[in-house]
Amino acid sequence: MTPGRLRFEGRDVPVLEGDTVASALFRAGVRTFSRSLKGHRRRGLYCGTGECPNCAVTVDGVPGVRSCITPATGDLRIERPRGWPSADHDLLHVADLAHPLMPVGFYLKTFIRPRFAWRTAERMIRRATGSGPLPMDAPATRTVSRHVRCDTIVVGAGVAGLTAALEPAVDGERVLLCDGFAIGSRVAPGPTLDAIRTLEARVRANPAIEIMEGYAALGLFDGPSVPLAGAGELVQVRAERVVVATGATEAHQLFPGNDLPGVWLGRAASAMAALHGVPPGRRVVVVASTAEGVEHLRALVAAGTPVVAALVPSAFVDEVPRETEAIVDGELVEARGHGRLRSVVVRERGERRRIRCDALVLSMGLAPRDELARMAVGEPVRLVGDAALDAGEPRLGGGYLCLCEDVALHDVEQAWTEGFRSAEILKRYTTATMGPCKGAMCGRALACFARDHADAADQRSGARTTARPPLRPVALETLAAPVHEVVEKRTGLHEVHLAAGANLGWSSGWKRALSYGDLAGEYRAVRERVGMMDVGTLGRFLIAGRDAARLAGSVFAGRIEDLAPGRSRYVLALDEGGYVVDDGLLCAVEDGSYLLTSTSGGAERMDARLREWADRLQLHVHLLDRTSELGAILVAGPRARDLLERLTGDPIEAAALPYPGHRELTLAGVPCRAIRSGFVGELAFELHHPRSRGPELWDALLREGKALEISPFGLDALEVLRLEKGHLYLGQDTLPDDTPAKLGLNWAVDMSKPWFVGKAALERLAELPPTRRLAGLEFEGAPAEGAELRGAPLTVGGAVVGRVTSAANSASLERAIGLGWIRRGEDGFPNELGAGSVVARVVSTPFYDPLGARVRG
Amino acid sequence: MAELRTSTPSVTSVLASAEACDRVSELPGACRVSPGEVALMGDVSEAAVRAAVVRLDPDAVVLDVSDGWIVHSLDGPGSREAFARLSELELPAAGSLVGELAGVGVRILVDGDRIDLLVPSMIAAHVRERIEVDAAELLR
Repeated sequence: MTPGRLRFEGRDVPVLEGDTVASALFRAGVRTFSRSLKGHRRRGLYCGTGECPNCAVTVDGVPGVRSCITPATGDLRIERPRGWPSADHDLLHVADLAHPLMPVGFYLKTFIRPRFAWRTAERMIRRATGSGPLPMDAPATRTVSRHVRCDTIVVGAGVAGLTAALEPAVDGERVLLCDGFAIGSRVAPGPTLDAIRTLEARVRANPAIEIMEGYAALGLFDGPSVPLAGAGELVQVRAERVVVATGATEAHQLFPGNDLPGVWLGRAASAMAALHGVPPGRRVVVVASTAEGVEHLRALVAAGTPVVAALVPSAFVDEVPRETEAIVDGELVEARGHGRLRSVVVRERGERRRIRCDALVLSMGLAPRDELARMAVGEPVRLVGDAALDAGEPRLGGGYLCLCEDVALHDVEQAWTEGFRSAEILKRYTTATMGPCKGAMCGRALACFARDHADAADQRSGARTTARPPLRPVALETLAAPVHEVVEKRTGLHEVHLAAGANLGWSSGWKRALSYGDLAGEYRAVRERVGMMDVGTLGRFLIAGRDAARLAGSVFAGRIEDLAPGRSRYVLALDEGGYVVDDGLLCAVEDGSYLLTSTSGGAERMDARLREWADRLQLHVHLLDRTSELGAILVAGPRARDLLERLTGDPIEAAALPYPGHRELTLAGVPCRAIRSGFVGELAFELHHPRSRGPELWDALLREGKALEISPFGLDALEVLRLEKGHLYLGQDTLPDDTPAKLGLNWAVDMSKPWFVGKAALERLAELPPTRRLAGLEFEGAPAEGAELRGAPLTVGGAVVGRVTSAANSASLERAIGLGWIRRGEDGFPNELGAGSVVARVVSTPFYDPLGARVRG
Repeated sequence: MAELRTSTPSVTSVLASAEACDRVSELPGACRVSPGEVALMGDVSEAAVRAAVVRLDPDAVVLDVSDGWIVHSLDGPGSREAFARLSELELPAAGSLVGELAGVGVRILVDGDRIDLLVPSMIAAHVRERIEVDAAELLR
């Protein structure tokens, strides 16, 4: 890779081939990489594997980037977010001196009073503790999502992962091997890297193994499914089995001074020296308790790092290079220094001894990275390699337990004395393990602390806190890549509305015409002449089969069996609790089947309800959702019949097509089922037609209607038209616990039927006095736009007793009208209420044409 | 590179007992939607199909529902990759299946690198747009 150009806080930093951002900065003399969250303590390079938060910087405006695993390629601008005036000279470090004033959980107890001060305090706290602002003006990037299937996914391509990938591959299974980095790229030269290269060659030669380098696993979900984040891509892998070979990190050690810049974990230090050619210090002390630690020690020395002393167990004493003093079976006591490491104190054969140094390299054991396996509940997951290690107990000697959230061991001890006595609630109170590393550094230590302090019998106190995705920080745009929640439904007349310049808007998932520019004109056309509207959004269902009537009779509360072919009826669907969940119009067809129309927003619910009850009652019915297949145009107004007569030779007079009824017609050559409709309160016909013929029919109606002064109308006009008739919108005017009685819809319920869904509940509820009902309202002193009253609370004597659910100015009545909920008082339901300064009077509905003569026309 | 083409199909819905649907499912271009429903793609004789199923289920419904559907076809190398951008369904080498793509329910007919997505007309524009955006560099 070509070395990039690094611009660090205003100055250029030289970059060598193979550099990470961290190695280039460290070579250039940067020692303070970040300031800690609370105390603004200096933090330097520590883990070198992208786990700990210490090296997080802002790269090209993107905060929280781990510089130790970010290749220094391209043109990068680097900043350190915390610290004022700079991360090197940070006056906010005073917060560390004030630590006694900000004990653990202080934010739960302070900044509470005076309340007005919180706004200012919050701004200051955010600035002092945040990881830096998000790049709000950054250009949108595109993340794609794809799905991959395999038999086995192996997460992690170290020695264990490569070995595991080769195991099942001999059986011809499809194996997917993934790793957040290129294979072997993060391992310093040595026996481990040699083993990796040998295995890698075999894996690459095996065609059954797909290798995905640069793809980090984010979590493990049911399936099992493992999402992987790679460059500009989210890959969702569905596998039969998961092998977790994520290895281990070097265990975070707890001792006083453990967070000083200059304290390194072994892998970071040896990589810095061996891969990037920069010694971690001029006088280095190594603590190596394991064989890997000794490997790091030798790598450091081989790369020319001056290691002055090494604490090793007696078993490894022969491995210590000659130029390094071996301290056998010594114990690390503390690290000292202000802002950076100056010396370490060790105990050697019972004696304390201070060694001057500027780097302390720790390789004292491993903490398995087993989070993925811990996310699995009953999924076929296997841990291999270091990830399966049974790690020893970490030593709790002091210092900082959680580097991300700046929680010291004494903070956790205090929380314990305050009564927070398990790992889970210690986590919530202290926020330890809740930082970006998600407990990779401190989770084990926190659990160990709780276990040590709890009663021996209390197993749960010391359990690890729950592992949750995402495993690594991930951009929201990556997570959003596979989300397709905004599904735009269009009727067959969509293009026609666009061409007509309609104002389109969302309604129940559909894009619909709200108006064509003249709301008052559209309204008047329907009331005085004729209007037409696209109602192709209505749900349409065919219910056929010998049990069709039984299904309709069961799902709907009204009488069904006397519905003769050619007639239609308004139907209500209730749930088992007797509450209204859907409504529609049921049309009986000559062949014994039914055509059901449902609300635009309730079609999917209606489909599911019909199928569910057909199944539960074991009925022989055939259901077909015809919503997509059929278009529908509503032609409404006193001249509606005149218009249709110009386009059809079929009989459409009241005797042949009465209200409420329906029949098949051919209009302008288009086969339709015309249904008489009462929703807008005028003579009206819904023309249900093949979707593809919609534009042709629309044009014919518009053309022939010209002489009758026709106008298309949209949802906005419909809102006023239906409100004048007192017709309600389920959802807008209703609440989840509305019975037909509360809505004034008892006329649509036939309690004499032996059974229908919700009947038993209605019988029980009938014994209770009504406490609430939907009422028609007329407003006095309403604002110029009556619709503004929608949502207004309704009051009696200052007490809220209801709410306006719909409101509009009625041109026919020349006043604002609406629907709203009212609660029963001691003297019955109120007749006059307040809606702010407006007076709301309860009136009976319909407001317009109460006897319905115009609809029947 | 795959090619994306949109066309209007001929679709006949057969709603009948599971036994009758079993019979119809053997016809070429059949997609079993559910135990009680088969979608027949291409030109079929409604009368002939009806005659075949009413013997097993006298209430059977055979209906031309072509207007309810649009076909988006992905064809050529990369078509399966483009499909995988939008759906987690595993495609067989050849055959039909029903499932979710771009967040909506679709019917799928597969034959090698040719994938016909049978999409309800009302959401056809949404699906086409998702394919064009999410699989942009895989399309010709």
